Amino acid sequence: MGDLIKNIVKKSPWIYRINAGSCNGCDVEMATTALIPRYDVERLGCKYCGSPKHADIVLISGPITAVVKEKVLRVYDEIPDPKVVVAVGICPISGGVFRDSYAIEMPLDGYIPVDVNVPGCPPRPQAIIDGVAKAIEIWKTKL
Amino acid sequence: MGTFLKIALKNLLKGPSTDKYPFGETFVPEKLRGKIKHDPEKCIACHMCEHVCAGGAIRLREAKDGSGADFVVWHNSCAFCGLCEHYCPTGAIHLTNDYHTAHLEKDKFSYVERTFVKYKPCSVCGQPFIPLIPQLEEVVYGEHGDKKGLSTMCEKCRRKAVWKDGVFK
Repeated sequence: MGDLIKNIVKKSPWIYRINAGSCNGCDVEMATTALIPRYDVERLGCKYCGSPKHADIVLISGPITAVVKEKVLRVYDEIPDPKVVVAVGICPISGGVFRDSYAIEMPLDGYIPVDVNVPGCPPRPQAIIDGVAKAIEIWKTKL
Repeated sequence: MGTFLKIALKNLLKGPSTDKYPFGETFVPEKLRGKIKHDPEKCIACHMCEHVCAGGAIRLREAKDGSGADFVVWHNSCAFCGLCEHYCPTGAIHLTNDYHTAHLEKDKFSYVERTFVKYKPCSVCGQPFIPLIPQLEEVVYGEHGDKKGLSTMCEKCRRKAVWKDGVFK
């Protein structure tokens, strides 16, 4: 029974999105990869969910501002294991154009174990789909 | 009702509008700004790209032995804004339309474009110096070109050679 459920679950990872002080550029691109029929990420079996408690793959955008850092960590803790983290955009990966600012607590991998990086400002929807595909491969091995 | 049926039938024949990527090919615009490509043959190590880089992704440092300059772009900090290409006086930097940027965490710090700009030895004293590329020769020496062979000399030898004959001759 457990194996059966594992095999079924492998086919449909749910995606959750955290905006850690992003300018919304990456968020718009993430929304277009999933929500519009043109780039349909649901072909990979993914589905955006509204609650962190249902999520398997987390997409995080933004440079982790000082105000939002604690909230991001709190939401991250609510996501059940196993989880895969994808850093979308250059901000969570390296701070990007905001690097060395007093207001941000980058990089993301200083606080959270990141699995896949998708740099870009913002990345193309196809690049985000690439990242999600890589994350699914990692998630399958973690189950 | 007739118009509606016509549109519905047309859309049915057209097939899905979903982009086939990642299972098939996708449309890539020619001018898409993606990963950076650097041509060390054209580079004159003027540091302009490093100066204008918004994300601080470009680093150009002289090698320890003085034989050339290391050019590094860290794509994880690059905003793909294209300022480096715009301000490059010789066209050495080009933003290709390669958008495949997703990579695993273990490749984070090795996700770079790295080239080596080799200096040429001076024709007089042999000291390595940043060579002038042919495209800039006309800009620097006018339409008659480099008659005195100044472009093959380092700064010091160039100054000496110019002073020998007098500046205004």
